[in-house]
Amino acid sequence: MRFGRPAAALLALFALAGTTGCGRVAEPDVVLWHAYRGAEAEALVEVVHAFEERHPEVVVEVVPVPYQAYANKLTSGVPRGNGPDVFLFAQERIGAWADAGILHALEPTQHRAVLEALPGGVVDACRYDGELWGLPVATKTTALFYRSDRLDELGAEPPETTDDLVALAARFTDASAGRFGLVYPVGDFYFHSGWFFGFGGTLSDADGTPRLDAPSNANSFAFVADLLNERRVVPRDCDYGVAKDLFARGDALFAVNGPWFLGELGDDVPFGVVPLPRISATNTPASPFVTVESVLVSSQAARSPEALAAATLLADFIAGPESSVIRAERGGQVVADRTAALSAREPAASAAFGAAAAAGTPMPNAPEMTAIWEPLNRALDQTLRGSRTAEAALVDADADLRRALAPPPPPTSPLPYEVAFGLVLVAAAGLAVRRSRRTALLARMRTSRLAYLYVAPAAIASGLLIFLPFIVGASLSLYAHEQGEFSFVGFANFLNILLARDFGLTHPQSFYFTLVVTVAWTAANVVLHVSIGLALALALRDSWVRLRGVYRVLLIVPWAVPNYITALIWKSMFNFSFGSINGVLRWLGATPVDWFSKWSTAFAANVATNTWLGFPFMMVVSLGALQSIPRDLEDAAEVDGASRWQRFRHITLPLLRPALVPAVVLGTVWTFNMFNIIYLVSGGGPDASTDILITEAYRWAFERGERYGYAAAYGVLIFGVLLIYTWATSGRRATELTDG
Amino acid sequence: MASVSLSGVHKRFGDTHVVRGVDLDIADGEFLVLVGSSGCGKSTLLRMLAGLEQPSSGSIAIGGRVVNDVAPRDRDIAMVFQSYALYPHMTVRENMGFGLKVRGAAAPEIDAAVADAARVLDIVHLLDRKPKEMSGGQRQRVAMGRALVRKPKVFLFDEPLSNLDASLRGQMRVELKRLHAKLGVTTVYVTHDQVEAMTLADRIALLDKGVVQQVGTPAELYDWPANRFTARFLGSPGMNFVEAELRDGRVFAPGVDVPVVAELLAEGTTDGPVWIGVRPHDLRLEVGGAAGAIEAEVDVLEPMGWETHAHLRVGDARWTARFDAADAASLTPRGRVRCSVAPRSARLFARDDERALYRAPGPT
Ligand SMILES: Nc1ncnc2c1ncn2[C@@H]1O[C@H](COP(=O)(O)OP(=O)(O)OP(=O)(O)O)[C@@H](O)[C@H]1O
Ligand SMILES: [Mg+2]
Repeated sequence: MRFGRPAAALLALFALAGTTGCGRVAEPDVVLWHAYRGAEAEALVEVVHAFEERHPEVVVEVVPVPYQAYANKLTSGVPRGNGPDVFLFAQERIGAWADAGILHALEPTQHRAVLEALPGGVVDACRYDGELWGLPVATKTTALFYRSDRLDELGAEPPETTDDLVALAARFTDASAGRFGLVYPVGDFYFHSGWFFGFGGTLSDADGTPRLDAPSNANSFAFVADLLNERRVVPRDCDYGVAKDLFARGDALFAVNGPWFLGELGDDVPFGVVPLPRISATNTPASPFVTVESVLVSSQAARSPEALAAATLLADFIAGPESSVIRAERGGQVVADRTAALSAREPAASAAFGAAAAAGTPMPNAPEMTAIWEPLNRALDQTLRGSRTAEAALVDADADLRRALAPPPPPTSPLPYEVAFGLVLVAAAGLAVRRSRRTALLARMRTSRLAYLYVAPAAIASGLLIFLPFIVGASLSLYAHEQGEFSFVGFANFLNILLARDFGLTHPQSFYFTLVVTVAWTAANVVLHVSIGLALALALRDSWVRLRGVYRVLLIVPWAVPNYITALIWKSMFNFSFGSINGVLRWLGATPVDWFSKWSTAFAANVATNTWLGFPFMMVVSLGALQSIPRDLEDAAEVDGASRWQRFRHITLPLLRPALVPAVVLGTVWTFNMFNIIYLVSGGGPDASTDILITEAYRWAFERGERYGYAAAYGVLIFGVLLIYTWATSGRRATELTDG
Repeated sequence: MASVSLSGVHKRFGDTHVVRGVDLDIADGEFLVLVGSSGCGKSTLLRMLAGLEQPSSGSIAIGGRVVNDVAPRDRDIAMVFQSYALYPHMTVRENMGFGLKVRGAAAPEIDAAVADAARVLDIVHLLDRKPKEMSGGQRQRVAMGRALVRKPKVFLFDEPLSNLDASLRGQMRVELKRLHAKLGVTTVYVTHDQVEAMTLADRIALLDKGVVQQVGTPAELYDWPANRFTARFLGSPGMNFVEAELRDGRVFAPGVDVPVVAELLAEGTTDGPVWIGVRPHDLRLEVGGAAGAIEAEVDVLEPMGWETHAHLRVGDARWTARFDAADAASLTPRGRVRCSVAPRSARLFARDDERALYRAPGPT
């Protein structure tokens, strides 16, 4: 070994030198990121091949990045030089990224040829702060899909105006047969945007500050509320999946959807696409949001003039005519390039989307606009539910937006915190030293050095994977985040949360309201999980030995299904119009329940879903524990004269306790943070009143103006609550185990 | 206190027919031992008495009342399990008081009853312990104490001593006997240990394959086994057998020639193949070449000090004899011996159905 060590070090050195040496040869000049899948991704690879043929001196590496992780990877990767040089993304983040220094501004004169082939409005969508940040590649917007077969049956043409649309929809609708004139996710402002802007809605003041309660904004809300509640040509609880199914089945005449829908419809579905109809009330075209997929150059490319030149060249090529033809033909994209659009795979649909984009409203790219969605969706939901008027709902939405965009707490000097923290550290260190002296820790450590060595890998790994992120996350709670900048604010986030400064105590978004909901949610679930699990375990214990295999499979199946899929299935079961639960209610002659319109029923729907997911665990734990209780004990109790309940209460339950208590603690912690169910089943609705702490934290971080520090403070508070809970229960458990 | 009677009781578990028609009458205050080899259905029978199993057919009566449909708690019985089945999370006091508590007795009443029973069993000092803090013998006492507290009409014991070591078992046997004498409660006691059966029982019911082979006092079963199974089961070492021929008032086998005692012979017995059985202590060693009834070859000798167990070959059969140590001194392995047996001590069994051919002489 003595000779081995230097030799190994030398070898490692050579290996290192070798890899860096080799790496230089293959190192790409340009790294290109995209989030495409399927045909779009293949078309992009083809575009890059064409580029490399044209420019053999430039090596391009194409990296597909999953959409969910895309923005995060980008903002963290580019500043460190391991992001892309060129990447594709919707233009809506341009403002935020330009502010954060992620992007490199383009020189329009270098791209004159490309820009001339593009519609002006689309190019404008890529401008921010007077600069051009990206080149439009494709547009995504919503248009009106119609079933051509159904339209023929009605002897009608695609509608030109909303009046036509409503009349045709009404003729087609037959709710009792499950047929509806118009389907789309009515509660989703993205799909609603065509009506909104067509009815004269606006999202900002004349000077460009975001504002949601402009008087004209209520009109489109009222229009859809009328379609839904009075004319009933749209099914209640219509979400994306429902809309897609109805349209694909031919039980819907019209659907509002985007170009991706083309790929989701089977070849056997006869359909056509036209731009959304003109708004009869205002006599202006519907004007849906247009996202402009653009090719952007990152600031990372500016590391050297050569790299920047190569990146600019690639971006130009991707947006250019040759690439546009490939992407239209092979990728089925609605390309921004006007001439290339003619070679699209579905020319008619592509033309319709192109026309829709021309009439559309570019998706705002200012950073504060990311916070409009939650308030607008909530206001839309409230209006459609009829719980308030559109005007009132929009006033609230505006207030919500203002809260989300409120400036962060003023930065404070970290010095007092650092001093306090330093003192705590010194005190802790002092205590630790005294303690280790007293217990002769060092000497003991020396004698069991080998043991420490064995646990070292695990300790280091959990340090890196658990403690480090925890500490980083916890320290984040002392900062406020605004547009890529973190400023130290001390305990301001905690004070804001704990003093409910942003809302009244009883506002659904206040910490305490959410905490109460979370506790109720946890308690209801754990009680149901344990009682159902235990009851089933008691019922099945006799046949357990015989049918063990069958039960195991039955139990593992719900577990093997990812819980978000279960959540989505249950959500659709609770659907007002098409859900199986209301189906059963109707069959029984009861009135169907609009599950997500009231707190109690939405909460119940969440609990039911999570109970379905949670009881098998408790059942397996109970079954296992029951097997270890000798039958003699229950027989003895029976002979002693105990009734069935007394036997359970006095014998079985106390003996199950040692196994059940840890399971309950674990189940409590899981349920407390059961993000997926809340987020996917009720979505926190109505009015964020069924949100639990963890979903609130998520929304603060990702849906309400990127308040990472505030969200981190939520995380720390959640941790604190659970810490107190486990601490309290483990104290009880310890006493129980010693005398159990 | 109460009598117990079973008539025509059968028990099937699916396809397995475990108890096959048991008729048994147990008198008030009697100590009946159910004995049989492992798996013969003793526990099943006991559990049916307790009400923990339902008979497939037949009826069970306690104190003259048919209890087939009566729940265990209403049968007024107490049972001591082989595992003791003490509730591990309760103290001895709570264990013993549990039966009264669930029946709604008042706390002072429970305390008094527990204290009484604890005194009788000498476990007062254990009352505040939990089961895992006690030895096997102490647990056994607590289990009995729990049965005692309720003053039931019938005690059921399922091999209560089988988890104890030999000396403790002996001690507890004596105590059980004393306890029964004192309380006089009808007791059904299951064991597979013949010593417990012999020493404790007023009467023994010997069970084999779910059928009662014989019921009687220990002496009756030992002296006049009703069939070869009973003869073999009781006694240690067991009765010796060899296939023999009954002819002209004598019993013949290779090396065996024993006269029949005609007055014991069951009526209607004819000449033919039989088993002859002799208990080891009924074999007398004939020294000095005296004519003996049985000739055998010595296989192995096991000197015990006060006596010697001699393993013999009689024809093809292997026998055991218990000889006086002094008499056996002259024996050598591989040597031949001659033994005699008093004709009245030998037992005859039919070769076909193995029933006893000698009957106990009637009381005269
Ligand atoms: N619940 C049951 N289901 C099926 N078979 C059973 C059941 N209980 C007992 N048996 C069977 O019945 C037969 C008799 O069982 P039982 O427990 O009465 O025997 P035992 O005489 O008490 O034996 P041991 O001396 O070993 O305790 C056994 O073959 C056993 O496998
Ligand atoms: Mg048994």
